[in-house]
Amino acid sequence: MKKHLLILLTVAILLPSFAALFVAGLGIVQHRRAMEMVAESYVKDIAQSVATQIEFDWGSRFSMARLHAMAKFHWLAFNVSIPGWLAIIDSEGRILVSTAGAEILSSLWNREIPVETALELESPEGERFTLAVYPAGTTGWFVVAAVSWDKLMGPMIKFNRWPLLVGLIGLLGLLSVYALWKWLVAPLRNLSHEVSTLRWGSDLPEKEDPMAVFEVDRLRKVIYHLAQSAIDRAQLMKRYVSDIVKVQEEEKSRLAREIHDGPLQEVTALMQQIRLARMELEGHEESMKRLLLAEEEAQVAVRDLRALCDELSPPWLELGLKEALEELAERISKHFNVTIQVEVHRGICLSKDMSLAFFRVVQEAIHNSYRHGKATKVNVKVYESEGYVFLEVSDNGIGFNPSLDVEALRLSGHRGLANMSERMSLIGGSFEVFSEEGKGTTVLCKVSATCAFA
Amino acid sequence: MTIRVFLADDHPMTRAGLRDYIKREEDFELVGEAEDGEEAFKGIKEKQPDIALLDIRMPKENGVALTRRLAAEGLETKVIILTSYDAKQYVISSLRAGAKGFVLKTASPEELAKAIRTVASGKLYLDAEVSSSVHDDFSPEPLSNREREVLLKAAKGLSSKEIASELYISERTVHAHLASIYDKLGAKNKTEAMLLALKYGVVALEELIE
Repeated sequence: MKKHLLILLTVAILLPSFAALFVAGLGIVQHRRAMEMVAESYVKDIAQSVATQIEFDWGSRFSMARLHAMAKFHWLAFNVSIPGWLAIIDSEGRILVSTAGAEILSSLWNREIPVETALELESPEGERFTLAVYPAGTTGWFVVAAVSWDKLMGPMIKFNRWPLLVGLIGLLGLLSVYALWKWLVAPLRNLSHEVSTLRWGSDLPEKEDPMAVFEVDRLRKVIYHLAQSAIDRAQLMKRYVSDIVKVQEEEKSRLAREIHDGPLQEVTALMQQIRLARMELEGHEESMKRLLLAEEEAQVAVRDLRALCDELSPPWLELGLKEALEELAERISKHFNVTIQVEVHRGICLSKDMSLAFFRVVQEAIHNSYRHGKATKVNVKVYESEGYVFLEVSDNGIGFNPSLDVEALRLSGHRGLANMSERMSLIGGSFEVFSEEGKGTTVLCKVSATCAFA
Repeated sequence: MTIRVFLADDHPMTRAGLRDYIKREEDFELVGEAEDGEEAFKGIKEKQPDIALLDIRMPKENGVALTRRLAAEGLETKVIILTSYDAKQYVISSLRAGAKGFVLKTASPEELAKAIRTVASGKLYLDAEVSSSVHDDFSPEPLSNREREVLLKAAKGLSSKEIASELYISERTVHAHLASIYDKLGAKNKTEAMLLALKYGVVALEELIE
């Protein structure tokens, strides 16, 4: 299954961040637990040992003064290493002696606090303590030892800041995803969109994308060069085809001219001489018959030569497009059952190349109309509108499905449509075919009206 | 009365044949020959023949252009266009330029002689091969004035749309007129209708000249 690049990138960024966060969290929890246990046994040990000390001393001569002295001697030594405090209280919770910081006890103390065990308490200010209370033998006093979490854990991360951290990592992740989107995914998408809509051989993509990362920009440059070379090739091909068509036309008209001025004239002269000879030979029946046969043969030759010229490049093409089209219509309708209407508006700016291209397109279109379309009526129109010259050939034939690819038709040997399209593209015009089965066919050509090229 | 003829054709062989055709007729006199348009113009201007036989394709100046130039000079010479090509558009172009006859080079000596005599007598002559389906004894139903107008405008090369706007009628009406003209003359298209109308004398040649 194909994955969206953005989804992959998002997962690639967010998954490791959250995994790291999870591992860190797990470590903190474990550490806290260990610290809890350490703190508990610590406060228990201290409270117990102090309580035992008091109980031991109680048997001899004990007094408040002695208690203070003891506190000075023993406990203050603890003060150095206790990140909390130690206090001896009476059964009412009043502090008898204590180390610094024990004042907080008054706000923590209540009678429900169990003895000889460690527990966690929270002061109204939100400070947390691990605390142990031990009775000091028969004195009725209690020893309280406590560790402050704030002092013990210090700057360690607390659980109540967790959501902030998750949010921060999420935000950073999103920022990274956005950056990747902007410099990688979006430029890639733009590039693929441009390439997919590119008409190879005539369009160029943008050469540079300032938003793209280096690699994508390189890719774009490669595609740009590919498109450029496709254009060069297409132009070369066009020039090549144009040259072929030009040479072909020149060769055709040269041949037609040669035939017209050479063999056609010579056979005509031959015919004239035969006729003259026939007139001089009156009375020689056999020779007359032979000459008549020869004359008829010459007549046939003249007709064949004219037909050949017509096929190659009819000399009447030089009369102008209107005349040439009317002559063409006249000749086709004489031989086939088709009525052809020709309308060429006057004063249309037509170059020699355009006239020839139009003539060839009409020739092909009419041919298609009666050969393939079985049309009985064809309308040929040449007109100018909004700076363009239009050629329209429409018929009442059986029509066809124009969705058939011109290229596919060409490959299957039907070069007609491709030829017309090529002709028009060579003079910088467009070529379109409109048809529907049973509804006739219309061929429409459009060329910008300019006499700049002759 | 002899008919003075001038012959212009760039092909020596066909010119020789035509020369012999003309020389066969006693009432024809060949007053000059030329092998290109320029030479022909000079010769015709100098000799002032009754008839000029001009090849449509000639070096320097073609037959049609030469005809137009001769008409512009105001010469009395009547032009018959010669061609080896049976294109009706050649006929139309020639007649529009002011030619009075149109003959194919493959015509027989008799046909050529007939053409020269017909044109010399002030009438129009068109080769049977280019104005096919013309029957000399056929007299068509006369055209209405509007139909004549439409036909003449069409003959001058106007499109249906242009005819419509010049005559202040719709394009559809122009088409209807044309259909009626074709029907009356037995023509299949504008070109044929025009040639037949000339042949039958429905319109005069002078009306056609640009």
